[in-house]
Amino acid sequence: MNMLDGYGMDTITLAGSLEAKLAAMKRAGFSQVMLMARDLVTHPGGVDAALAAVAGSGLRPTGFQVLRDFEGLSGHLHEYKVDIAKSMLQMCAATGAKVLLACSSTSRHATQDLDQIAADLKKLAMLALPLGIKVAYEALSWGRTVNEFPVSWDVICRADCPNLGIGLDSFHIFAAKSSLDAIEELDAEKIFLVQLSDFMWHETPTFEERMTTARTFRVFPGEGVHSEQLADLVMRLDRIGYRGDYSFEVFNDDYQQLPVDAVAARARRSAVWLHENVLHRSAPLPTWTRQTS
Amino acid sequence: MSLRKVDREDVPEIPNRLGLAGIEFIEYATPRPQALGQVLERMGFRPVARHRSREVTLYRQGDMNLVVNASPEDARVSGTVDGQPVISAVAFRVQDALKAQTRCMELGAWGVPSQAQAMELHIPAIHGPGRSRFYFVDRWQEFSIYDIDFKPIPTVQQNPPALAGMSYFGLVQYIGAGRSAEWLTYYEHMFDFVPIPDEERFGILPKGKLMRSPCGTFLWQLIEPDPWMESGDDGPECLQRVGFGVSHVAQAVQALKACGVEFVESTRLHPEDRGALTRSVLGSVAFELVHH
Repeated sequence: MNMLDGYGMDTITLAGSLEAKLAAMKRAGFSQVMLMARDLVTHPGGVDAALAAVAGSGLRPTGFQVLRDFEGLSGHLHEYKVDIAKSMLQMCAATGAKVLLACSSTSRHATQDLDQIAADLKKLAMLALPLGIKVAYEALSWGRTVNEFPVSWDVICRADCPNLGIGLDSFHIFAAKSSLDAIEELDAEKIFLVQLSDFMWHETPTFEERMTTARTFRVFPGEGVHSEQLADLVMRLDRIGYRGDYSFEVFNDDYQQLPVDAVAARARRSAVWLHENVLHRSAPLPTWTRQTS
Repeated sequence: MSLRKVDREDVPEIPNRLGLAGIEFIEYATPRPQALGQVLERMGFRPVARHRSREVTLYRQGDMNLVVNASPEDARVSGTVDGQPVISAVAFRVQDALKAQTRCMELGAWGVPSQAQAMELHIPAIHGPGRSRFYFVDRWQEFSIYDIDFKPIPTVQQNPPALAGMSYFGLVQYIGAGRSAEWLTYYEHMFDFVPIPDEERFGILPKGKLMRSPCGTFLWQLIEPDPWMESGDDGPECLQRVGFGVSHVAQAVQALKACGVEFVESTRLHPEDRGALTRSVLGSVAFELVHH
């Protein structure tokens, strides 16, 4: 078993072609990749060529992102979003990814009624179910109604659907300054995705600052100013029994102009830090220690 | 002042929001309709009508209708693997077919666009597991839907009696590992199926999760891959087989054996009072008898 098996990179962190990104991740020792819909549709060879590249890489898809502003709409807006969701689910299934990431709505046109939001998410989960896909619902820190993970968890509990669970993103948790105590309330089996990243500011009070930072200046775990909180988050998740994947959701304009191998090496360093210094999971012993004589 | 007993005790009724009232027909897809037809005839079915525009045959015995779809332009036929027949649809009798489809789609089902030709019936449908479909039929009391899309085969008795009194008892669906809770929720949410406790079993195969239709006329069984099997049993999700209810399993087994049907007989599994399983033929077709 590879030490990095539980950790993966997002394609959004790296510059260049899909093939170059996948190859760099593999060279750095990763065995999974968080895919974005844009990876498929912007591929010069088309969606089928992108799917072939993913399959050919041997990397397991951690999940597929991202469905935005789905819940809380009515009438023709709702119908439109259901169509978008269906296309996203079909692409997700085609990649072999088992998790679709859906982010909380930012739309002023969406209702703030949590029961209606829950009903819409249950509908999304039902659309996903025959395809074998789970939906990870994530609270964006600038979401209009759902912007902290305890609220997204409340909505998920109201929907009460086995393939609808929570997606956690450390950036949004730290940006919104959510208390980590609520992690204890989560059911580890219903955490379908954990995305990790950090940033360099101590304060991001406005939605605008959160958005700008989230989209241009995230860094890998261990590189930012919230390393202690990030370690605390990961250890709490470990304590409640979470054994799923950790994916590095690092949007960073600087990394977009560095060679892919240099950025992938930073990701690897981050994974090793998490694995050895935070979770204290030791690397496998060398082969000679298992030889009997 | 009058207090009805139900009000006083607040007895919950089993909801049946689609007005489900049983199985109208089951459809197989196969590029080898004659081979499947022979299998069905050994099971007591008789071909009674042919579709007006497509290569589809209606088989019948007792109150069971079974459709064999060999239409080459249908992706469910051309998509079969190695020519093995698959259960490609189950049609449910409901109160109002369009309302049933609309309600399911509002809950998150994938609708199926109609392929009806001129003067043919448009039967509303949603996608089921794998490539299968669920149809909704509401005209099953006043007249026969088959009279519109099918032409009777001349000289053939249109309502052959059921062999050994067989009737539809249920469907077995193969699902992915760890997917029972998901599919249970799906069927509860879409069709108001009711889970049956694990202690209550039917037939001879004690595996899987059982559900009952809200009308009480058929069962649905969900079976995950055997966790002890290393590999090779993780195929795509599908409707795997049909169960027939019979009042005397032994008599039914004898009658079917006389028609050339073979049954699974092993130390672990053999025909008995509770039920019996036919040997799989054409690579994928098996039936189950269940004491009813």
